[in-house]
Amino acid sequence: MKTKRLAELSLLTAAALVVFIVELRLPDLSSVPGVKLGLANIFTVYAVYRFSGRETLLMVLSRVLLGALFSSNFSAVLYSLAGALLCLAGMLLLRKVIPQHFMWLCSIIGAMLHNTGQMAVAVAQMRTLTPLMWYPKLIIAGCIAGLFTGLCAQHVVDRLAPGNKRKADKK
Amino acid sequence: MTKGVKICLAAIITVFLAAVIITAVMSLRTGRNMAVIEQNGEILYRIDLDKEEDREFTVTSPDGGWNTIRIQGGTICVSEADCPDKTCVRTGLLRNEGSPIVCLPHKLIIRFADENGG
Repeated sequence: MKTKRLAELSLLTAAALVVFIVELRLPDLSSVPGVKLGLANIFTVYAVYRFSGRETLLMVLSRVLLGALFSSNFSAVLYSLAGALLCLAGMLLLRKVIPQHFMWLCSIIGAMLHNTGQMAVAVAQMRTLTPLMWYPKLIIAGCIAGLFTGLCAQHVVDRLAPGNKRKADKK
Repeated sequence: MTKGVKICLAAIITVFLAAVIITAVMSLRTGRNMAVIEQNGEILYRIDLDKEEDREFTVTSPDGGWNTIRIQGGTICVSEADCPDKTCVRTGLLRNEGSPIVCLPHKLIIRFADENGG
Protein backbone atom coordinates (compact mmCIF):
# COMPACT_ATOMS: atom_id res chain seq x y z
CA MET A 1 0.00 0.00 0.00
CA LYS A 2 1.35 3.40 -0.94
CA THR A 3 2.24 5.63 1.99
CA LYS A 4 -0.12 8.32 0.81
CA ARG A 5 -3.04 5.88 0.67
CA LEU A 6 -2.16 4.58 4.11
CA ALA A 7 -2.07 8.08 5.56
CA GLU A 8 -5.40 8.94 3.96
CA LEU A 9 -6.99 5.79 5.35
CA SER A 10 -5.58 6.42 8.83
CA LEU A 11 -6.88 9.96 8.76
CA LEU A 12 -10.33 8.74 7.77
CA THR A 13 -10.29 6.11 10.52
CA ALA A 14 -9.24 8.68 13.11
CA ALA A 15 -11.94 11.12 12.01
CA ALA A 16 -14.56 8.34 12.06
CA LEU A 17 -13.48 7.39 15.58
CA VAL A 18 -13.78 10.95 16.83
CA VAL A 19 -17.26 11.25 15.37
CA PHE A 20 -18.18 7.84 16.80
CA ILE A 21 -17.11 8.84 20.31
CA VAL A 22 -18.79 12.23 20.18
CA GLU A 23 -21.99 10.52 19.07
CA LEU A 24 -21.84 8.18 22.07
CA ARG A 25 -22.12 11.21 24.31
CA LEU A 26 -25.39 12.29 22.72
CA PRO A 27 -28.57 11.04 24.39
CA ASP A 28 -30.31 8.05 22.82
CA LEU A 29 -32.77 8.93 20.09
CA SER A 30 -35.14 6.10 20.89
CA SER A 31 -35.75 3.39 23.43
CA VAL A 32 -35.18 0.78 20.76
CA PRO A 33 -31.63 -0.53 21.15
CA GLY A 34 -29.48 0.08 18.10
CA VAL A 35 -31.30 3.17 16.85
CA LYS A 36 -28.77 5.91 16.21
CA LEU A 37 -27.59 8.13 13.41
CA GLY A 38 -24.37 6.21 12.92
CA LEU A 39 -22.39 9.27 11.87
CA ALA A 40 -19.21 7.19 11.54
CA ASN A 41 -20.93 5.54 8.60
CA ILE A 42 -20.34 8.72 6.59
CA PHE A 43 -16.68 7.75 6.43
CA THR A 44 -17.46 4.17 5.46
CA VAL A 45 -19.72 5.26 2.61
CA TYR A 46 -17.08 7.71 1.47
CA ALA A 47 -14.36 5.05 1.61
CA VAL A 48 -16.48 2.53 -0.30
CA TYR A 49 -16.54 4.86 -3.30
CA ARG A 50 -12.98 6.19 -3.01
CA PHE A 51 -10.93 3.16 -1.95
CA SER A 52 -10.64 -0.51 -2.80
CA GLY A 53 -12.69 -3.11 -0.95
CA ARG A 54 -9.64 -4.39 0.94
CA GLU A 55 -8.68 -0.91 2.11
CA THR A 56 -12.21 -0.11 3.22
CA LEU A 57 -12.46 -3.39 5.12
CA LEU A 58 -9.22 -2.54 6.92
CA MET A 59 -10.56 0.87 7.86
CA VAL A 60 -13.92 -0.43 9.08
CA LEU A 61 -12.35 -3.21 11.14
CA SER A 62 -9.95 -0.87 12.89
CA ARG A 63 -12.72 1.64 13.53
CA VAL A 64 -15.04 -0.94 15.10
CA LEU A 65 -12.33 -2.53 17.26
CA LEU A 66 -10.77 0.76 18.37
CA GLY A 67 -14.23 2.21 18.93
CA ALA A 68 -15.05 -0.65 21.30
CA LEU A 69 -11.74 -0.09 23.05
CA PHE A 70 -12.27 3.65 23.47
CA SER A 71 -15.89 3.39 24.56
CA SER A 72 -15.05 0.39 26.80
CA ASN A 73 -18.32 -1.22 25.78
CA PHE A 74 -17.22 -4.69 24.74
CA SER A 75 -20.67 -6.22 25.07
CA ALA A 76 -21.57 -4.19 22.00
CA VAL A 77 -18.60 -5.21 19.84
CA LEU A 78 -20.32 -8.27 18.34
CA TYR A 79 -23.29 -6.14 17.36
CA SER A 80 -21.21 -3.45 15.70
CA LEU A 81 -18.95 -5.99 14.02
CA ALA A 82 -21.81 -7.99 12.51
CA GLY A 83 -23.59 -4.81 11.46
CA ALA A 84 -20.53 -3.15 9.99
CA LEU A 85 -19.38 -6.20 8.04
CA LEU A 86 -22.80 -6.95 6.54
CA CYS A 87 -23.22 -3.28 5.68
CA LEU A 88 -19.80 -3.15 4.06
CA ALA A 89 -20.32 -6.34 2.07
CA GLY A 90 -23.62 -5.01 0.76
CA MET A 91 -22.24 -1.62 -0.17
CA LEU A 92 -19.17 -3.09 -1.92
CA LEU A 93 -21.50 -5.16 -4.09
CA LEU A 94 -23.84 -2.24 -4.68
CA ARG A 95 -21.16 0.18 -5.78
CA LYS A 96 -20.92 -1.79 -9.02
CA VAL A 97 -24.63 -1.15 -9.64
CA ILE A 98 -25.09 2.30 -8.15
CA PRO A 99 -23.00 5.09 -9.68
CA GLN A 100 -21.20 7.57 -7.48
CA HIS A 101 -23.75 10.35 -7.81
CA PHE A 102 -26.34 8.08 -6.21
CA MET A 103 -24.18 6.90 -3.34
CA TRP A 104 -26.79 7.99 -0.79
CA LEU A 105 -28.96 5.15 -2.07
CA CYS A 106 -26.14 2.75 -1.37
CA SER A 107 -25.89 4.21 2.12
CA ILE A 108 -29.59 3.59 2.87
CA ILE A 109 -29.33 -0.06 1.90
CA GLY A 110 -26.09 -0.29 3.87
CA ALA A 111 -27.81 1.09 6.98
CA MET A 112 -30.65 -1.39 6.65
CA LEU A 113 -28.12 -4.23 6.26
CA HIS A 114 -26.27 -2.92 9.31
CA ASN A 115 -29.44 -3.18 11.37
CA THR A 116 -30.13 -6.62 9.90
CA GLY A 117 -26.71 -7.81 11.07
CA GLN A 118 -27.34 -6.47 14.56
CA MET A 119 -30.72 -8.13 14.60
CA ALA A 120 -29.15 -11.47 13.68
CA VAL A 121 -26.69 -11.15 16.58
CA ALA A 122 -29.49 -10.18 18.97
CA VAL A 123 -31.53 -13.23 17.98
CA ALA A 124 -28.48 -15.50 18.30
CA GLN A 125 -27.40 -14.06 21.64
CA MET A 126 -30.79 -13.96 23.30
CA ARG A 127 -31.80 -17.34 21.84
CA THR A 128 -35.30 -16.10 21.15
CA LEU A 129 -37.07 -14.48 18.24
CA THR A 130 -38.43 -11.68 20.42
CA PRO A 131 -35.91 -9.10 19.13
CA LEU A 132 -37.62 -9.37 15.72
CA MET A 133 -40.45 -7.32 17.26
CA TRP A 134 -38.43 -4.18 16.88
CA TYR A 135 -36.93 -5.09 13.51
CA PRO A 136 -39.47 -2.94 11.56
CA LYS A 137 -38.61 0.04 13.73
CA LEU A 138 -34.90 -0.52 13.13
CA ILE A 139 -35.53 -0.62 9.38
CA ILE A 140 -37.38 2.71 9.49
CA ALA A 141 -34.64 4.26 11.60
CA GLY A 142 -32.02 2.75 9.29
CA CYS A 143 -33.62 4.33 6.22
CA ILE A 144 -33.61 7.78 7.79
CA ALA A 145 -30.12 7.50 9.28
CA GLY A 146 -28.75 5.97 6.08
CA LEU A 147 -30.21 8.77 3.98
CA PHE A 148 -28.67 11.38 6.26
CA THR A 149 -25.19 9.86 6.42
CA GLY A 150 -25.35 9.04 2.71
CA LEU A 151 -26.13 12.64 1.78
CA CYS A 152 -23.28 13.83 4.01
CA ALA A 153 -20.84 11.52 2.21
CA GLN A 154 -22.34 12.54 -1.12
CA HIS A 155 -21.61 16.20 -0.49
CA VAL A 156 -18.06 15.44 0.58
CA VAL A 157 -17.37 13.39 -2.54
CA ASP A 158 -18.95 16.01 -4.80
CA ARG A 159 -16.56 18.59 -3.46
CA LEU A 160 -13.43 16.43 -3.27
CA ALA A 161 -13.76 14.63 -6.58
CA PRO A 162 -14.69 17.19 -9.21
CA GLY A 163 -13.60 14.70 -11.89
CA ASN A 164 -16.71 12.66 -11.15
CA LYS A 165 -19.01 15.60 -11.05
CA ARG A 166 -22.57 14.73 -10.26
CA LYS A 167 -25.03 15.22 -13.06
CA ALA A 168 -27.97 17.41 -12.18
CA ASP A 169 -30.16 15.70 -9.61
CA LYS A 170 -32.82 14.06 -11.67
CA LYS A 171 -35.18 11.89 -9.75
CA MET B 1 -30.72 7.09 -13.73
CA THR B 2 -29.65 3.58 -14.56
CA LYS B 3 -31.76 0.47 -14.23
CA GLY B 4 -29.85 -0.65 -11.14
CA VAL B 5 -30.56 2.62 -9.35
CA LYS B 6 -34.26 2.34 -10.13
CA ILE B 7 -34.45 -1.21 -8.79
CA CYS B 8 -32.63 -0.19 -5.59
CA LEU B 9 -34.87 2.82 -5.08
CA ALA B 10 -37.99 0.71 -5.57
CA ALA B 11 -36.68 -1.92 -3.14
CA ILE B 12 -35.94 0.70 -0.49
CA ILE B 13 -39.38 2.29 -0.78
CA THR B 14 -41.11 -1.10 -0.60
CA VAL B 15 -39.19 -2.23 2.48
CA PHE B 16 -39.66 1.15 4.17
CA LEU B 17 -43.42 1.19 3.61
CA ALA B 18 -43.73 -2.43 4.78
CA ALA B 19 -41.84 -1.54 7.97
CA VAL B 20 -44.06 1.49 8.59
CA ILE B 21 -47.23 -0.57 8.17
CA ILE B 22 -45.99 -3.39 10.43
CA THR B 23 -44.98 -0.88 13.12
CA ALA B 24 -48.36 0.83 12.96
CA VAL B 25 -50.23 -2.48 13.20
CA MET B 26 -48.08 -3.64 16.11
CA SER B 27 -48.58 -0.47 18.13
CA LEU B 28 -52.35 -0.63 17.60
CA ARG B 29 -52.66 -4.17 18.87
CA THR B 30 -53.23 -4.29 22.59
CA GLY B 31 -53.91 -7.74 23.92
CA ARG B 32 -54.46 -8.81 27.49
CA ASN B 33 -52.37 -7.13 30.10
CA MET B 34 -50.04 -10.13 30.47
CA ALA B 35 -46.35 -9.42 30.64
CA VAL B 36 -43.57 -11.93 30.12
CA ILE B 37 -40.05 -11.57 31.46
CA GLU B 38 -37.51 -13.67 29.65
CA GLN B 39 -33.79 -14.10 29.86
CA ASN B 40 -31.50 -16.13 27.61
CA GLY B 41 -34.57 -17.24 25.68
CA GLU B 42 -36.26 -18.76 28.74
CA ILE B 43 -39.39 -17.36 30.30
CA LEU B 44 -38.68 -16.47 33.92
CA TYR B 45 -41.97 -14.87 34.92
CA ARG B 46 -45.42 -14.54 33.47
CA ILE B 47 -47.27 -11.70 35.14
CA ASP B 48 -50.89 -10.62 34.92
CA LEU B 49 -50.41 -6.90 35.37
CA ASP B 50 -54.06 -6.27 36.22
CA LYS B 51 -53.95 -8.61 39.22
CA GLU B 52 -50.38 -8.15 40.35
CA GLU B 53 -49.87 -5.99 43.42
CA ASP B 54 -47.26 -3.23 43.42
CA ARG B 55 -43.80 -4.58 44.12
CA GLU B 56 -40.16 -4.49 43.11
CA PHE B 57 -37.89 -7.42 42.51
CA THR B 58 -34.46 -8.07 41.10
CA VAL B 59 -33.52 -10.40 38.28
CA THR B 60 -29.89 -11.46 38.23
CA SER B 61 -28.19 -12.47 35.02
CA PRO B 62 -26.07 -15.66 34.89
CA ASP B 63 -23.11 -13.52 33.80
CA GLY B 64 -23.45 -11.45 36.96
CA GLY B 65 -25.42 -8.25 36.69
CA TRP B 66 -28.91 -7.35 37.73
CA ASN B 67 -32.05 -5.50 36.74
CA THR B 68 -34.62 -4.30 39.25
CA ILE B 69 -38.13 -4.54 37.88
CA ARG B 70 -40.95 -2.44 39.28
CA ILE B 71 -44.63 -3.28 38.96
CA GLN B 72 -46.91 -0.41 39.88
CA GLY B 73 -50.61 0.12 39.21
CA GLY B 74 -50.74 -2.30 36.29
CA THR B 75 -47.56 -1.04 34.66
CA ILE B 76 -44.12 -2.59 34.50
CA CYS B 77 -40.69 -1.05 34.03
CA VAL B 78 -37.03 -1.56 34.85
CA SER B 79 -36.30 0.87 37.65
CA GLU B 80 -32.61 0.19 38.11
CA ALA B 81 -29.88 -1.86 36.47
CA ASP B 82 -26.12 -2.18 36.49
CA CYS B 83 -25.73 -2.61 32.73
CA PRO B 84 -23.40 -0.23 30.88
CA ASP B 85 -25.94 1.36 28.56
CA LYS B 86 -29.07 1.67 30.77
CA THR B 87 -31.31 1.40 27.72
CA CYS B 88 -33.71 -0.77 29.71
CA VAL B 89 -34.16 1.89 32.40
CA ARG B 90 -34.60 4.72 29.93
CA THR B 91 -37.23 2.83 27.96
CA GLY B 92 -39.60 3.47 30.86
CA LEU B 93 -42.95 1.71 31.03
CA LEU B 94 -43.88 -1.21 28.82
CA ARG B 95 -46.42 0.32 26.44
CA ASN B 96 -47.16 -1.87 23.46
CA GLU B 97 -46.18 -5.05 21.71
CA GLY B 98 -43.95 -3.28 19.25
CA SER B 99 -41.59 -1.89 21.87
CA PRO B 100 -40.47 -4.42 24.45
CA ILE B 101 -38.12 -3.41 27.24
CA VAL B 102 -34.73 -4.84 26.44
CA CYS B 103 -31.42 -5.13 28.22
CA LEU B 104 -28.98 -6.43 25.63
CA PRO B 105 -26.00 -6.85 28.00
CA HIS B 106 -28.05 -9.01 30.40
CA LYS B 107 -30.09 -10.67 27.63
CA LEU B 108 -33.30 -9.68 29.39
CA ILE B 109 -36.58 -8.91 27.64
CA ILE B 110 -39.88 -7.75 29.11
CA ARG B 111 -42.75 -7.88 26.64
CA PHE B 112 -46.47 -8.44 26.39
CA ALA B 113 -47.51 -12.07 25.98
CA ASP B 114 -48.63 -13.42 22.61
CA GLU B 115 -52.21 -14.40 21.89
CA ASN B 116 -51.49 -18.05 22.69
CA GLY B 117 -50.00 -17.10 26.02
CA GLY B 118 -46.38 -17.74 24.94
